[in-house]
Amino acid sequence: MASEDGCGGGNPPGDAAAAPPVWNAAPAAGAGCGDLEEDLRFQCCVCLELLYKPVVIACGHMSCFWCVHNAMHIIRESHCAVCRQPYKHFPSICQLLHHLLIKLEPVEYKRREKEVLEDEKRVDTYSPQIIEFLNSKSNNCEIDGENRPEESNSRPPQEVTSDGNTINGHPKKVKLEDVSCALCKELLYQPAVLNCGHVYCMSCLSSLDDGALKCQVCGGLHPGDFPNVCLDLDHFIEDYFPAEYDLRREKIKLLKGECNQGSSSGTSCRKEGRGRPTNKENRAHQDDDLSDVHIGVGCDSCGMYPIRGKRYKCKDCTELIGFDLCEECYNTKSKLPGRFNQHHTPDHRMELDQSALFNMLMRLQGIHEESPREIIIEGAFVAPDAVVHIIADDHEEIEDNGEDDHLL
Amino acid sequence: MVDVSRVQKELTECNRDREVSGVSIALHDGSTISHLTGTIAGPQGTPYEGGTFVIDIRLPGGYPFEPPKMQFITKVWHPNISSQNGAICLDILKDQWSPALTLKTALLSLQALLSAPAPDDPQDAVVAQQYLRDYSTFSATARYWTEAFAKSSSTGMEEKVQKLVEMGFPEDMVRSVLKSVNGDENMALEKLCSG
Repeated sequence: MASEDGCGGGNPPGDAAAAPPVWNAAPAAGAGCGDLEEDLRFQCCVCLELLYKPVVIACGHMSCFWCVHNAMHIIRESHCAVCRQPYKHFPSICQLLHHLLIKLEPVEYKRREKEVLEDEKRVDTYSPQIIEFLNSKSNNCEIDGENRPEESNSRPPQEVTSDGNTINGHPKKVKLEDVSCALCKELLYQPAVLNCGHVYCMSCLSSLDDGALKCQVCGGLHPGDFPNVCLDLDHFIEDYFPAEYDLRREKIKLLKGECNQGSSSGTSCRKEGRGRPTNKENRAHQDDDLSDVHIGVGCDSCGMYPIRGKRYKCKDCTELIGFDLCEECYNTKSKLPGRFNQHHTPDHRMELDQSALFNMLMRLQGIHEESPREIIIEGAFVAPDAVVHIIADDHEEIEDNGEDDHLL
Repeated sequence: MVDVSRVQKELTECNRDREVSGVSIALHDGSTISHLTGTIAGPQGTPYEGGTFVIDIRLPGGYPFEPPKMQFITKVWHPNISSQNGAICLDILKDQWSPALTLKTALLSLQALLSAPAPDDPQDAVVAQQYLRDYSTFSATARYWTEAFAKSSSTGMEEKVQKLVEMGFPEDMVRSVLKSVNGDENMALEKLCSG
């Protein structure tokens, strides 16, 4: 994929003219001109392709929108595919990364877009069509438009091209403002991504945190654990803007002299005890007791998946995947659009729905073998087969005390 | 339903450095992509050294969100692998599977399992007992099994072909017959003689 950009200076001249090799050479490991090394940086660990509509989990690891969603457990809490850190909320797409990738790998990203869209058509369920959102940022300030004007004064793009980091005088594909913090508007240093997909410097995020972590851009509360540094993005910025990154490092060291023990190892000290306190308290007993789980149904506002407690379902959304809210989001009247491109509007009617409740399904399965299947299909985000399969598995586990360990 | 493009990438990636890693994957008889055959080299310094172990790999529809089903085809004497049917007891092939793992990493884990048995969580109780109570016998048995089953089918193949060709059978027939009996020289000879 996109090996044209991968050879850091070794491109044939014709190629270079068409697509300037702006990758500023030389993370030492990638010097071997293997397209593999270059590509690995933004490769999804699940589909092994270029990340498409990347989603960053609180632990700082990222995958494609669908790769994260498909990897989530439909009944229990999910675990990061890379580090296995548990999480319960399906984060929103990180728009900053999305745009970064459009600029870095335009051809390959386009190809991925096509490919994913075909898959989505097949299951008639779509990821958010954020591209339109961003192209029209002049009239939509909600997502990231409002940051742009100021940023451009802070450091004109020309300055970037004049430092020693460009190759053959070509301007870099990515500008400083493409990778700037949502709060301080400067180049991201140790970036961390909130559940809503907005990106902050770790130092900025720490300054925001007074009990509940609230995004300054969209106002969304960050549920779950305090986010870790997204190392893939951090390393990219460090390699791509070495001089600027060093400056930021120095500056933040000066500013945060008292916090210097945390500067290199990031967030391990902060991981605990943050985020929404209710989550933390309930975690232990919630995992044993599945009775309030709505199997395979997620909240379209905060991303909790599966929903625990009360579930409200939209009566008017016609999309296959439906539109659902958890109790908390229902009560806060969130106006976010659905996470799967539903056409939900505030005047749609919502109703309490128990059709995918664990208890209910188990009871139904006892009586009618076929009914839960239908009910689940209606509410589920996952392929119906998978749902039924997992339910069957879980059922077995409950009744047989997990004896399937010895089968193969 | 299997993510075909991912599996193809995995195959390329895995076979790129097969000499170094000692593991490789191929399509099983060129059939569908959801049925594969993996091979791992027995780790050095273990009773499995010098052996080549063949593993049957079946990919469920949900792969990579569900673990691949793996089973040793080559008979192997190991506490965590059934001496009867080759079933494997390894957490990452069950509840500890993660979609970020690959067939290659799973095979490498099997290779590591050969180096470091976990007799406290056995698949084959008899082998595990022996491992714990009488290690030298275990080690000798494992080495004998490696000698008998993990070397015959693959490593000595060329010599066997040579031998049978010298007996006067055409080479292509020898190869196909040897393959069909999984490298067993005597059975191949019998088959060749019976026409």
